[in-house]
Amino acid sequence: MKATVVEGIEVGTTLPPMTMRFTRERLVRYAGASTDFNPIHYSEYFAGRMGLPGVIAHGMLTMGTALRIVTNWVGDPGRVISYAVRFTRPVVVPDDADGVEVEFRGSVSAVDGSLVTVSIEAISDGQKVLGAARAEVDLGVRVPHRDHEA
Amino acid sequence: MAITEAHAGRRYPPTDPYHVSAAKIAEFATALGDDNPRYRGDSPIAPPTFAAVISSQAWQQLFTDPELELSVERIVHGDQRFTFVRPLRPGDIVIATASIDRVRLRAGSELIYATVDITGRDTELICTAQATFSHAREAAA
Repeated sequence: MKATVVEGIEVGTTLPPMTMRFTRERLVRYAGASTDFNPIHYSEYFAGRMGLPGVIAHGMLTMGTALRIVTNWVGDPGRVISYAVRFTRPVVVPDDADGVEVEFRGSVSAVDGSLVTVSIEAISDGQKVLGAARAEVDLGVRVPHRDHEA
Repeated sequence: MAITEAHAGRRYPPTDPYHVSAAKIAEFATALGDDNPRYRGDSPIAPPTFAAVISSQAWQQLFTDPELELSVERIVHGDQRFTFVRPLRPGDIVIATASIDRVRLRAGSELIYATVDITGRDTELICTAQATFSHAREAAA
């Protein structure tokens, strides 16, 4: 069974890029939603004590945001079957109205039947903040989720 | 006794059951600034990285294990990998079970490779979260 969605997708296909602004407000929201209340993500004092140049974004916030480039593209986030990143550099978020910009780019790096691997780049302040970021999506026919059968 | 390579294979008891709810899923998606309609409405699924919310409870067990003598504030998340069998959904009652796969001692730090299995009813595997943590042996000057 060949999935038609995969046609036209090949190694090198680029995904629509995305730019996000990380502000202190976003860090506080993410802390609450994720229950990660490590003070280096909201307190200059604690960040400084850890030798950081300032308050930094949660690595998982960057990871979660970066995946949006893939889920926006495929539509259904349930198609993501694996996702891996390396946290290479912290994203420092200043205490002002603008915060910091993070740019996300993605391109298809492998196609194996209906399995498509997307390599993702996340850049802030001219530096890569994620390394070896890859998400694998299954664009083939998926069995309905159990709750839909009920 | 601090952490050593011999702690590979160490396994922790499952976390308390976590009840996945539509409200928490929507809150998490909003925190990511993500308006994907699949995270809202009648039959939502959780954003894939929502799995970290559940795995973090299991990581805490490892970080605070007195046997390992780790200092939580000196732990840095190095790598993260998720493998999804299916998305998490409201109504799921899941537990997370952590184990240490490998420990590598380096000059001044330890690298801890840990796996968390998120399972549902009847031990159904829903997601696996593999992480590498670096623990600095001495406090930053």
